[in-house]
Amino acid sequence: MDPVKIIIDGKEIATTKGKTVIQAAAEAGIAIPYYCYHPKLTIAGNCRMCLVEIEKMPKLQISCNTLVTEGMAVKTESPKVLEARRAVMEFLLINHPLDCPICDQAGECWLQDYYMEHDLSASRFDERKEHERKREIFGPYVVFDGERCIKCTRCVRFLQEVTHTDELTVVNRGDDSTIALFPGEILDNPLSVNVVDICPVGALTDRDFRFKVRVWYLRKTPSICPGCSTGCNISLESYQNRIARFKPRVNEAVNSHWLCDEGRYSFHALTEGERLTTPMIRQEGGLVTTDWDTALEAAIAGLGANGPLLGVLSGRNTNEEAFLFARLMKKISSQTALEVFYRERELTEVEKVLKSPDRSPNFRGARDMGVHANGGFDSLAGRLVAGNFRGAYIVGEDLIDLPGDGEKIQTALEKLSFLVVQDTRLTPTAKLAHVVLPATHFGEKEGTYTNRRGRVQKLNAAIVPPLGALQDWEIFSRLLARAGEKAAYATAAEIFLALAREIPAYGGLNYGKIGDQGFQLGNETQQP
Amino acid sequence: MEKILLRNVDAPDSNTIGAYRSRGGYRALEKVVSEMSPERLIDEIKASGLRGRGGAGFPTGMKWGFVPKDSPKPKYVVCNADESEPGTFKDRLLIEKDPHAIIEGTIIAAYAIQSHTAFIYIRGELSYGAKVLERAIEEAAAAGFLGKNIFGSGYDIDVILHRGAGAYICGEETGLLSSLEGGKGWPKVKPPFPATHGLFGCPTVVNNVETLASLPWIIEQGAARYAAIGTEKSKGTKLFSVSGHINKPGVYEVDMGYPFKKFLEEDCGGVPNGKKLKGVIPGGASMPVLRPDELDGITMDYESFQAAGTLLGSGGVIVMDESTCMVQAAWNISRFFAHESCGQCSPCREGCHWMEKIFRRVEHGEGKAGDLDLILSVSGNIMGNTICPFGDAAAMPAAAFIRKYRAEFDEHIARKKCTVSPI
Repeated sequence: MDPVKIIIDGKEIATTKGKTVIQAAAEAGIAIPYYCYHPKLTIAGNCRMCLVEIEKMPKLQISCNTLVTEGMAVKTESPKVLEARRAVMEFLLINHPLDCPICDQAGECWLQDYYMEHDLSASRFDERKEHERKREIFGPYVVFDGERCIKCTRCVRFLQEVTHTDELTVVNRGDDSTIALFPGEILDNPLSVNVVDICPVGALTDRDFRFKVRVWYLRKTPSICPGCSTGCNISLESYQNRIARFKPRVNEAVNSHWLCDEGRYSFHALTEGERLTTPMIRQEGGLVTTDWDTALEAAIAGLGANGPLLGVLSGRNTNEEAFLFARLMKKISSQTALEVFYRERELTEVEKVLKSPDRSPNFRGARDMGVHANGGFDSLAGRLVAGNFRGAYIVGEDLIDLPGDGEKIQTALEKLSFLVVQDTRLTPTAKLAHVVLPATHFGEKEGTYTNRRGRVQKLNAAIVPPLGALQDWEIFSRLLARAGEKAAYATAAEIFLALAREIPAYGGLNYGKIGDQGFQLGNETQQP
Repeated sequence: MEKILLRNVDAPDSNTIGAYRSRGGYRALEKVVSEMSPERLIDEIKASGLRGRGGAGFPTGMKWGFVPKDSPKPKYVVCNADESEPGTFKDRLLIEKDPHAIIEGTIIAAYAIQSHTAFIYIRGELSYGAKVLERAIEEAAAAGFLGKNIFGSGYDIDVILHRGAGAYICGEETGLLSSLEGGKGWPKVKPPFPATHGLFGCPTVVNNVETLASLPWIIEQGAARYAAIGTEKSKGTKLFSVSGHINKPGVYEVDMGYPFKKFLEEDCGGVPNGKKLKGVIPGGASMPVLRPDELDGITMDYESFQAAGTLLGSGGVIVMDESTCMVQAAWNISRFFAHESCGQCSPCREGCHWMEKIFRRVEHGEGKAGDLDLILSVSGNIMGNTICPFGDAAAMPAAAFIRKYRAEFDEHIARKKCTVSPI
């Protein structure tokens, strides 16, 4: 990395050889506007928004395709540059419909933002606008508006260069140019919705999200995708205490700029449906609602009296929860077998770009916390089916719903003397329980996940849980108190500090160190 | 004036290998591959002063010199036979009448950069020319002038003819390469340049038909003789295709530096039917038009045309007499460019159509005050800001027509109709 010094707008900037002007400027905090440039895609150079003036070059140059050289003097705000920028804005807008009020992109549209920053002039275009295809369904999640498209080709390049699935191309010429599916193709690859994220305008929108809420009402909470153990960083965007969408949050150590479709929409299945809001207890005739004290007392008594015990924790439980769960179960009975739910599936080549083969975002963290000693979940499920346990505590997983083994597990669960199920909904598994404890989902929690590669990342509570449900850690904490443990925790952060003291790999860590980009544990290997 | 490029075209059966050889054809190639090193060849062409005849006028020998010698990748030479510039039909004549000169020149260029595969990319509409070239390539292969070990020199060369699908932009060298690669004919962002990252990412030289057809003569007669023709900076001869309101339209070979006015009035016989000249485009539709009062003193070479505010371009001379409506002419040209813009980059994609729409309105009597300044502003906003020279090619004539015939445009707007030759 040879150092290079360049001058941008009179300011000397130290950068390195091989960087482009737009990169060097961005690193120095100078934002050169652009549409088609994307740091993870090849250079297209077609929008011309990033034109800058470079000393000794007669023409303006696109800063996305100009490599820095020693002593290069760049002007990003000269009259010539500002005029070219305004001209590009004008060109992009002449055929663009001016119907922002009904466009779902409004509020996060680069045309809008740059117009305010770099144009702000009335249109001189007095001709009939060209019309294009509207509302064309590109795939299960993506819809296209040809009139709003600025032909930056980010979508086309993403599908060529990241997924290698090549569903889209540019057809026709001149101002008839438009993005189109190749004949017979649909945009349904496992990463398809990333084209919506990288579309700077309202041409590609998310069929699941659009027209549900104006984006300026969204509350954006940095969090981690609960879909699998890749641990993609997300912005969890909510409105009126409901999750509206996931957007990828850039983290080069994890997901770069991307998010898979399955993860993106995982919140629907994980959060929708009728919530449990009161604890329940089995009486003759079935489950009846009760209060927390009664339910917790019944749980601790029942579990204590029915060893050997099985403890299954969801892969979506946080490290903090796993730490308390392991402690709780060991406290209740010395004959306890603990596992975090973990199952693998086959991934396609495109899925492998991002996805991990499981649906347990925190299986590694849970194991680190001690929810692990029994040769993996499937082996433990085998022991359950074989009748090795008398009591069980199942958290956050509907085991009866498992493909293949569901029926056998159901029979085994029915035979148990005592079953506690802690979940957000009254699942088929919960219906078999002697005690049901209403808990919270990933979007309602503060805590940490440790991804497959050993990166500890932070979840932040975006949604207020329904009245009557408790945080999983709080349930464990209350049960621990009933089991005789003195330590009490008031926040997830406190639990984390406790686990950091106890578990060597996490030694010295705290939420501040983890930050928004996570903290890589020493052992960067893939598990399992 | 000695004929260099047109030396064979009038001979009987000039496009056959027999006729070409009987007139000395392929001797230059034999000399090159058996006696000259690539370096000496490049030096020879540099010494001749030959500049690219496709329009840009870049020195040919220097262009070859940019190709890295130590690249492990294959190298390519591409003959640009996608002649599409309105008013230009010089390459077509060479293709149809003297294909072997093009093939010989292509192989010489290939030898210079030690390429073993050369392509001739021919405009899709030139179907007869494609047949002629195809037969000529077969003849040359049968005679052993291309293929393995030509002239026993150990040098191998394949020449492949590729037909375009009919897009002006594929005459732009990187658009051509995209098309030749099998993609949409989109020009590439530069850098990198074709000399290092051309066809399929490999070092590539793209030369125009006329450039390549000049090579055999230069080799045979020597660079010094070639350089003796023309002006200080514009050497040799140049083909001009003359069309429009002119008594003797056709393709002319002219020594660089020949007086332009004399050429039009004497060589081409002047404007027919006693009408007055109204304007001349000297270098194909993309070049700024000249008024009659601007012609004095112009000589037919790169520098003189440039000094007059226009460019030699492709040498497509379009002559317009007093009956021509300049608004119509400008609209016609802008319609062509709007139709041919590839649509890749914003200023050209949007701006070309915008200008066309305004020109159309003005011609149809729907012009408004401010329209002309708007076109000037739009053309200025396209100029220099696009991926390839197409943007300039569309912007330059639009601005020139308005600047030079402003009164006629104003009259269209003021009287709300075409006053010269209503459509």
